[in-house]
Amino acid sequence: MTTVFRALADPTRRRILQLLRAGPMNAGDLAAGFDVTKPTMSAHFAVLSAAGLIDGTKRGRTITYRLRMSVLEDALLGFAQGFGIQIAPGAADTATPLPED
Amino acid sequence: MTVPAHQPRATRAPVIRALIVAALILAAAAAMALLSPEHLDPGASRRLLGALLGFVVAVYANAVPKALSPLIETRCSLARQQAVRRFVGWALVLGGLAYAAVWLVAPLDSANLIAGSLLGASLLAAVIRVVLARRGAPGSAAR
Repeated sequence: MTTVFRALADPTRRRILQLLRAGPMNAGDLAAGFDVTKPTMSAHFAVLSAAGLIDGTKRGRTITYRLRMSVLEDALLGFAQGFGIQIAPGAADTATPLPED
Repeated sequence: MTVPAHQPRATRAPVIRALIVAALILAAAAAMALLSPEHLDPGASRRLLGALLGFVVAVYANAVPKALSPLIETRCSLARQQAVRRFVGWALVLGGLAYAAVWLVAPLDSANLIAGSLLGASLLAAVIRVVLARRGAPGSAAR
């Protein structure tokens, strides 16, 4: 559960989850909506995947992400988003960028 | 019931969890039967069992949106499938929690009727949502 709180604590990751609520999207389309580097986005995706909140499927050169949230996690996301609170103190970090390949 | 040892851990885990939950429900029912009527008022026993059932529904429904089918097996729009799963999960979680809450606070005479109606309504809403999604699917082939 700590990984879930950590994942939901960051506004960028919450925004990714909100975008995925509309339906699955590929990594490139998701990244286009953010003013961050690709490695940073990859790191955010990695945190969300590790928390079990999204599921990534590689098809050729693209990775399609889709939501994988339970009702409780969905409610936590809504709560964190609605009240703008930090549900895990000190966890709203900027994701450590993954090395570009 | 035995779980084959050759199954991967990820496959066995839900089965083991389900068996544990089933055992807990049976143990709770047995404990209430043993405690009632000397140590536990029969009314309280009914309330607790009703609340327990509501919580079980909520716990299982909580996982509905998390269960994903492999992309290759998905025949309908992924967005629609996700929306339906989320709706069904939310409807049943709220229905289960309402069922539990009613059993805990409503008068015993009417608790069964009110709780059953609320859970039934949430189940009906979930079924209608699934049917509508299937009808709206291209070629009505949604799964």
